[in-house]
Amino acid sequence: MRRGHSLIGIIFLSILLAGCAGTQSRNTDPENDPWEGFNRKVFAFNDGLDKVARPIAVGYDKIMPDPFQRGVGNFFRNLDNPVIYVSQVLQGKFGESITTIGRFLVNSTIGVLGFFDVATKWGMPFYNEDLGQTLATWGYKDSRYLMLPFFGPSTFRDGVGRLGDSYIHPVGRAIHGNDEWTLWIVRGIDLRARYLDQDAEFNEAYDPYVLMRDIWMQNREYQIYDGDPPILDYDMYLDDFDEEDDP
Amino acid sequence: MRISSLLLTITCFFSNGVWANLQTDDPVTLIKDITGQIFADVGENLEKYSNDHEALKALVRNDLMPLLDVRYAARLVLGRAGRGIEAGKIDEFATLMSDMLINRYSAGLLYFSSEVKLQVMPQRGDLNPKITRVRTRVSLPSGSLAPVDYAFHKTADGWKAFDVIVEGISYVTTYRNQIMPDVQANGIDSVIERLSKGELELPE
Repeated sequence: MRRGHSLIGIIFLSILLAGCAGTQSRNTDPENDPWEGFNRKVFAFNDGLDKVARPIAVGYDKIMPDPFQRGVGNFFRNLDNPVIYVSQVLQGKFGESITTIGRFLVNSTIGVLGFFDVATKWGMPFYNEDLGQTLATWGYKDSRYLMLPFFGPSTFRDGVGRLGDSYIHPVGRAIHGNDEWTLWIVRGIDLRARYLDQDAEFNEAYDPYVLMRDIWMQNREYQIYDGDPPILDYDMYLDDFDEEDDP
Repeated sequence: MRISSLLLTITCFFSNGVWANLQTDDPVTLIKDITGQIFADVGENLEKYSNDHEALKALVRNDLMPLLDVRYAARLVLGRAGRGIEAGKIDEFATLMSDMLINRYSAGLLYFSSEVKLQVMPQRGDLNPKITRVRTRVSLPSGSLAPVDYAFHKTADGWKAFDVIVEGISYVTTYRNQIMPDVQANGIDSVIERLSKGELELPE
């Protein structure tokens, strides 16, 4: 029954490929993105996949009424709970991990397999946790940016975390156990549909690759610090500005 | 004519009411008062503003602009690409950048519609005049909370915000990484021209 190694394959292959990536002319952030050349290629590859994925997501978005889409989103978010629980325990957040168990029980039953987020209304909040964040709180704070084929933006650390998550997450387990990709694909379409509004502006950006990296990396930092990251060093931005014009 | 001057008087009076609070030496109160005011106004006149986007933008501009340090934000965004550019051009760029922010903010207000609620988180620790972050939570109609933070610093004219941070994503940082290379490659005039045509927007 252990045929489903394609998931691990994708992640490992991309890590391997990254190692072989040749030097590229563009190096917009050598510190956080030393594999930019490789990452840009994967970005272009994913962009190609999007030519297929986007029309499906557009169709899904047109056909499905908003409450139903919200329900689908809730359903998948409910399936995240086992990963969240394990991550919370590994980070020593025991009180929050109890809440996560409560959320899972309430939403899976009263919330009809997670379609309705009853738990939030009952004062059991959603916590965003995963193994990548766990590695970060254990001290693996800085990790190089890594664009994964199919999965999108990540870091080396979060790629490893994702692999671990997939052994806990029901959607990942379905792939590992039975090569059952249906849930994964439906989740992908649902996720893609959420970002349709932003497509136009993304495509108009001066450098869509950098835009995606900036948005993802900053939001990831925000998740790692549970919504309270260190304040940016804005002075750094001013250092190289001509101070003559200062009033 | 008489009506419009009356309106003007009322507006000034009303603005004075809002600005009286500006004397409070506290960015948390500032955000609470001003965004609370904007949300309340839009909530009460949602139909009017849905049909008249210009009026909505005017309202947002009137209430929000005095709170922003757009020139400082522009300097942060331009970074080394701003070197050697005359102050007038930088001000022009700053104005266009704030226009964009106001458009985005106004569009967001309508989208959130009447159900929007704002929570301003209490300040922890002392206020740092160099940089203080004010954290807010905007509750969306879907029931989820959007975290919106503001970066403030203290100027000669009081506390001013120079960055908006949504779910950890800094407007200044993200915009800077698009604009700086653009200015370096194509020059400030080209960027200003495209900005004034409504291009170069950032996704939410």
